[in-house]
Amino acid sequence: MQLSGSARTAEEDFDYLFKIILIGDSNVGKTCVVQHFKSGVYTESRQNTIGVDFTVRSLEVDGKRVKMQVWDTAGQERFRTITQSYYRSAHAAIIAYDLTRRATFESVPHWIHEIEKYGAANLVIMLIGNKSDRWEERHVLFEEACTLAEKHGLLAVLETSAKESRNIDEVFVLMAKELIARNSLHLYGESALNSLPLDSSPVLVAQRPSEKTHCTC
Amino acid sequence: MALRSAQGDGPISSRWDGGAEKADFNNKKKKKVAEIYQALNSDPIDVAALRRMAISEGGLLTDEIRRKVWPRLLNVNTSDPPPLLGKDLRQMSKDYQQVLLDVRRSLRRFPPGMPDEQREGLQEELIDIILLVLERNPQLHYYQGYHDIVVTFLLVVGEKLTTSLVEKLSTHHLRDFMEPTMDNTRHILNYLMPIIDQVNPELHDFMQSAEVGTIFALSWLITWFGHVLSDFRHVVRLYDFFLACHPLMPIYFAAVIVLYREQEVLDCDCDMASVHHLLSQIPQDLPYETLISRAGDLFVQFPPSELAREAAAQQEATRTAASTFKDFELVSAQQRPDMVLRQRFRELLRPEERTKDVLTKPRTNRFVKLAVMGLTVALGAAALAVVKSALEWAPKFQLQLFP
Repeated sequence: MQLSGSARTAEEDFDYLFKIILIGDSNVGKTCVVQHFKSGVYTESRQNTIGVDFTVRSLEVDGKRVKMQVWDTAGQERFRTITQSYYRSAHAAIIAYDLTRRATFESVPHWIHEIEKYGAANLVIMLIGNKSDRWEERHVLFEEACTLAEKHGLLAVLETSAKESRNIDEVFVLMAKELIARNSLHLYGESALNSLPLDSSPVLVAQRPSEKTHCTC
Repeated sequence: MALRSAQGDGPISSRWDGGAEKADFNNKKKKKVAEIYQALNSDPIDVAALRRMAISEGGLLTDEIRRKVWPRLLNVNTSDPPPLLGKDLRQMSKDYQQVLLDVRRSLRRFPPGMPDEQREGLQEELIDIILLVLERNPQLHYYQGYHDIVVTFLLVVGEKLTTSLVEKLSTHHLRDFMEPTMDNTRHILNYLMPIIDQVNPELHDFMQSAEVGTIFALSWLITWFGHVLSDFRHVVRLYDFFLACHPLMPIYFAAVIVLYREQEVLDCDCDMASVHHLLSQIPQDLPYETLISRAGDLFVQFPPSELAREAAAQQEATRTAASTFKDFELVSAQQRPDMVLRQRFRELLRPEERTKDVLTKPRTNRFVKLAVMGLTVALGAAALAVVKSALEWAPKFQLQLFP
């Protein structure tokens, strides 16, 4: 919003810089999500992503200036050896699936495995089911995503729609809050992290049915 | 035919505004068109001259000429009937879903004014062509970005010719990108930093400290810049150049773009994200003709065989075997010297030119060697290129990295 990727000087002031990698199968809408986060508007996908691309946006969260650096990746399997090298420096990962295409949801465990293999330990992982505007074509129930998220200890599940501006900012704000919280904990040393009761049940935010926004399974 | 006019023809005509300059340009263009037709009409067809035309200023000028010359550059016989499409190709192909997803959202690659219906028809053709080439060549693996190359051919030469041209290109220039893994592609990217180092060690060192890597150039390389340039005229101009040259030329061109942006890069924060971001956003107003000519110069000065060892060293594995395969020697034995490049190099050798145009790093004196080995490389290699993929040109020790 205030910041663009190339903006420098005074805008460089920030309290936190978080690097987030955005992964998931081809054509689930990763680039649209990140573009919407960056610009606040939906632009129809005009081409696929090759390799990696990144976007920066500053957020103000609880009075802190947070710079979110989001690495958008290519979904095709053969690019994985390339995107893997970007996992290491990431603080968090967002795995996206397309809730109208079940196969993209079924790959989620595989993506989690990739993160565990190539990412830093304790990477925060969030799951998003994109294209919730096409709920009538839904092939993945929100409850299934909840179960999966719990099983793998993910931070949250949100159903998003870049097209209808649903939950996009929420994804990143939620992620920023969690990362700030974890970061503050680190100030008191590793032991504090272990002793403090971190909420282990994921935050679950559905898009539809609409009455359900937060569920803790 | 509406399609052709939508794209426009003269790739560099917009640069010429002044009346006298314009007249001069028109004369030059007319002369070049005549030369191209002369080469096409000679018996046998003067392919070496056509390569020269494709490289030199303005490239092949019009899509009409491209339709005639591109097949010659790829040694494709246009009178052969195009391969036929099997009806159940879409059901059979393991790549269909991915191809469909990529083609459906490739809107950016079609001329802005094109009616939806026409575009959708072309997209269907695009899918069929890709699946057909993959079906006929099971050793080739589809990659996201391949469709960016195929669509360029489709828009210029039409459906019938595209299949044959793309098939040839895929089994040669693009073959390394179509391996089961991306190892060969990554290896070709490893040539980028050694080229930059030869010309501008300061820039090279800065990029190394930023740990930017080479992934910013990945889409440039595997789509021949089709994915990143918005003006179709620039894309086809580059395709003229690449079709006439060695399969590694796109990586030289990538290096030339980075070198051209030296100041911007050095002004950037020295960290991976900043430099990657800057470089991956390709400026749309690049001076293409100048950069093409520089890429050709760099290729001649620092041929792949000379960079192979450094490129291999970018990989963890280091090999000690020496290169014995001198591609430029092999090639210069097969091709006549090229006058266009030769003349340019004579100018380059003039002292005032040397200070003006920093093409080589001060600690090396390559000009003497250049004069000796002749200037046939960039062109000459291309004569063989149609039967070689990029890595086949690399010295043997390097190929051992990928058994």
